[in-house]
Amino acid sequence: MKKKGFDYLKGITAVDYKDHLEVVYILFNTENKKQEVVTVNLKDNNSIHTVIRLYKSADWLERELSEMFGITILGREAPRLLLEKWNGADAPLRKSFEWGKDYKRNTP
Amino acid sequence: MSIMRINVGPIHPSTHGVLRLMVDVDGDSIVDVNTHIGFLHRGVEKLMETRMYMQNPSYTEKMDYVAPLAWDDLYVHAVEIALGKEVKEAAQYARVILDEFQRIASHLLWLGTFCNDLGQMFTLFMWTFRERAEIIKFLEDIAGSRMFYVNIRVGGLWKPLPADFRERAYKLADYIEGHISQYPEILDKNPVFSERTKGIGRLSLEDAINMGASGPVLRASGLEYDTRKAMPYYVYDRAKFDVPTSSSGDAYARYRVRFEEMKQSLSIIRQMLDNFPKNEDVVGMPIKLIGPQAKPDPVILSHELPRGEGIIYMIPDKQKPYRIYMRSPTYMNLSLLSHLSKNHKFADLFSILGSLDVIMAEIDK
Repeated sequence: MKKKGFDYLKGITAVDYKDHLEVVYILFNTENKKQEVVTVNLKDNNSIHTVIRLYKSADWLERELSEMFGITILGREAPRLLLEKWNGADAPLRKSFEWGKDYKRNTP
Repeated sequence: MSIMRINVGPIHPSTHGVLRLMVDVDGDSIVDVNTHIGFLHRGVEKLMETRMYMQNPSYTEKMDYVAPLAWDDLYVHAVEIALGKEVKEAAQYARVILDEFQRIASHLLWLGTFCNDLGQMFTLFMWTFRERAEIIKFLEDIAGSRMFYVNIRVGGLWKPLPADFRERAYKLADYIEGHISQYPEILDKNPVFSERTKGIGRLSLEDAINMGASGPVLRASGLEYDTRKAMPYYVYDRAKFDVPTSSSGDAYARYRVRFEEMKQSLSIIRQMLDNFPKNEDVVGMPIKLIGPQAKPDPVILSHELPRGEGIIYMIPDKQKPYRIYMRSPTYMNLSLLSHLSKNHKFADLFSILGSLDVIMAEIDK
């Protein structure tokens, strides 16, 4: 996509369809002002390769993705948790996250 | 030389919320900045999946409490697209006017606090808050609430506009224009302001695009990209306005871009008031809403919020959103902080942070 001129990564997110996860990339071409949404299906495994070498903006976006959905980002190191340190639940935005359960916060 | 680590925050007047910075300094120059966020994380996206469509605006407007109307408008517009509902023409004009007033109010608050961060400039803080108070009074008379308006409904607004709406809006625009035109006098000629902003936190265009800078920060680095022009929504394509840009990409350029944006907003407001439809019916649908019955396509919508481009990616369901993603522009802008402040003096850190215009509620979501 980057070779096609999509040089601006606006956002990364995911959707939990219960049987599979779908990762969504929102890309933008700053030359002709065109926007494109790319979706990737994660059928079996919960991991996806990083795009940080192409887009530096993926740094915080991928960390948010991995913390909120429990997706492993391959090919990069995340030095620490960015948003939350939860004990017991790894993926709060997944549909399997139990609503109202008492999760203890892991305070350092 | 040994490296010393200084902790800033989470509670600090210059971090504009609960932001913690671990700054590694060598003497007085910054080696690295570790940004710790998440103190305000409330899981808005998860909460919104559990609420009915029109219960959610009370969450979206707490995303950015300085410009609540902007996020509210973006969310309700996304719901309208999902349901296939048209927005009344007069309501489109009214929303553009309210959004632009909200943008000016937000930029005024930013300018005041930014000068406060730079020190010794309390005058401008008082001035900008005086102007902002007039806008808030105006919005209060329309929405009935001073800070969180929740007056945007599917198809229009909550209640009819007051009879003297246009008259007051014209007067308010004149009032603001008269006052903000005095600001360059006190800012551009002020040596303290120039020294602390010019050449500080320089961001090249290449880095700005690659690192995902958004809104005024991106435009200050030279890219002429404004969602209102590139992907027009409502009646923005009927207004003539410029997209202010700058090539230097420093804190001063960000101030200039935001200042010019306020002037452009006033011009948009006047054009909208001139062409306001004769049929002034703006009242939208009641709050009870049943969503789409068939499985619709995902909705993706961008609005130009005061702090940058906000995007909503929504998978609609019958009564609630199945999944909603809100891309907050300041989340991307704050991630630039460590890159921008390297090799600067420690005292410049707050000049850079202030120029990025961060709102922690929007970052942590």
